[in-house]
Amino acid sequence: MIGGDMEIDIRDKTSFFKAQVQESLRTVLDPELDVNIIDLGLVYGIDVNEETKTITVTMTLSSQYCPMGDAILQSVENCLEHFYPAYIPKVELTWEPRWSYESLTEEGLRQLGRR
Amino acid sequence: MKVINKQSEALYKIVVGHYLFSALCFVILTMMLFHSVAELSGHYFNPRILAITHMAALGWGTTIVFGASYQLIPVIFEKDLYSYRLPWVSFITFIAGLTLLVCSFWQFDSGLCMQLGGLLLLISIVLFALIVFLTARTNKKEASIQQEFMVTSTLWLAGTALLGVLLVFNFRFAFLPKDHLHFLKLHAHMGIAGWFLLLIIGVSSKLIPMFLVSRKTNDKLLNWCYYLINGALIAFLIDTYINGINTKTYFISMVLVSGILIYLRYVSDCFRSRIKKQIELPITNTIISFVLMLAGVFVLPLIIYYQLKQDPQTVHYTTLYGSLLFMGWLSALILGQAFKTLPFIVWARKYEHLAGKSKTPLPADLYSKLLLRVQTILFLAFCLAFYLGFILKSEPITSAGLGCLILTAIVYFVNLVKVLLHKAIVN
Repeated sequence: MIGGDMEIDIRDKTSFFKAQVQESLRTVLDPELDVNIIDLGLVYGIDVNEETKTITVTMTLSSQYCPMGDAILQSVENCLEHFYPAYIPKVELTWEPRWSYESLTEEGLRQLGRR
Repeated sequence: MKVINKQSEALYKIVVGHYLFSALCFVILTMMLFHSVAELSGHYFNPRILAITHMAALGWGTTIVFGASYQLIPVIFEKDLYSYRLPWVSFITFIAGLTLLVCSFWQFDSGLCMQLGGLLLLISIVLFALIVFLTARTNKKEASIQQEFMVTSTLWLAGTALLGVLLVFNFRFAFLPKDHLHFLKLHAHMGIAGWFLLLIIGVSSKLIPMFLVSRKTNDKLLNWCYYLINGALIAFLIDTYINGINTKTYFISMVLVSGILIYLRYVSDCFRSRIKKQIELPITNTIISFVLMLAGVFVLPLIIYYQLKQDPQTVHYTTLYGSLLFMGWLSALILGQAFKTLPFIVWARKYEHLAGKSKTPLPADLYSKLLLRVQTILFLAFCLAFYLGFILKSEPITSAGLGCLILTAIVYFVNLVKVLLHKAIVN
């Protein structure tokens, strides 16, 4: 789902729930850019395991040395805990693929004054 | 993969302590300058000018650089600080050393106070260097160019401090083989180019693309810049020690300037390829600082020219050069970057556990934008009046400029305290 586009798989029972989680993650902002992490294209995947009641968010940061990295990852956990108290939140940080300008959504670009 | 823990209670207190002490030094520095307008038009080797220069370089510049480094070293080296106790020992020793050194320069008492002050500062700087080296050593990965800049600049700082202490003892025991002023030139350039310039390039080359979210960063340019500046500095130290200022110094200064221009090219690429279109006021201050640095660097050939002609104008241009670098470049940089870094540090402490659960302010909401605007205008007014007064050799205009600088320092201090006293607001 790089670039904020989420594919809905109608055979997957958790698809709609994942879409809901994605919308919730729009409340998490990058404190420097004031743009949410979905429109920044930082979230690479959302996985829901109904058996273990776990939500796993696979994401990246705009820079490996981002001083706000901890804060953003913590915010994602906070957000999941807040909106989905019945689930265990898990955030997995990855640097592959590396985040780039192309990961931004149209809305992200607009908010950054680039559209 | 987990990002390293960059914010802890111990780290927060160290960093904030340095920011506050530096701001206090800036207020004192501006007042010292205001009371020394007459001395500014004389020779730079003057007790008050020595006190002012050390207050600017150490109290205002180095203190905040130490504080910001403790915050950024874990980010740049990708390792937690080697120790959280050593920075406190270094900080306390630094405050004691600076107070003794600046007071004894001001009254020009070259006795025990000045010597003890110098030694305490050297101990503090060696401790800082130890923290940097020991943290860098724990990073097993290939060092980034930014890490190289930071480690090398720390080496230059230790060298500057060591030579500084020798100069202090030389006042009493006159053991150095050449003229005191000769060594003063070497001491000053080790500090300016070796410590401040290399460190600022290293740190800013990491922070500027991050703040602007730049698409293009060319580390090859930074490699060139690193070797050109270090090469020019080493050549300057050896050649000037042996031959004094001579025609070769022009060539050496050109090598230094080309290193700086390559760095500015790197910065320009970052700006042109930035994703975030809007340029905020702290970044505007950074741009002003680059202009003032360039102005300072272009005064260098004039100093060499008049020095070779044995014209006393060289003294006038040396003071202009020093003021452009310390009061212009360094001050503008700190006045802007403090509001990019400190609000983040405070925000992380107050809102990290709340972000994502509820609407929280942004780091940029923690400082007063109005005060920052006023501060920037006052600083520009200082630059205009001070340098005009300096060129026209007019004390009233210079004093008016320095009055603006005092107000700049007060507004900066108030805004910094506002950030630190921020109480968490949750909607």
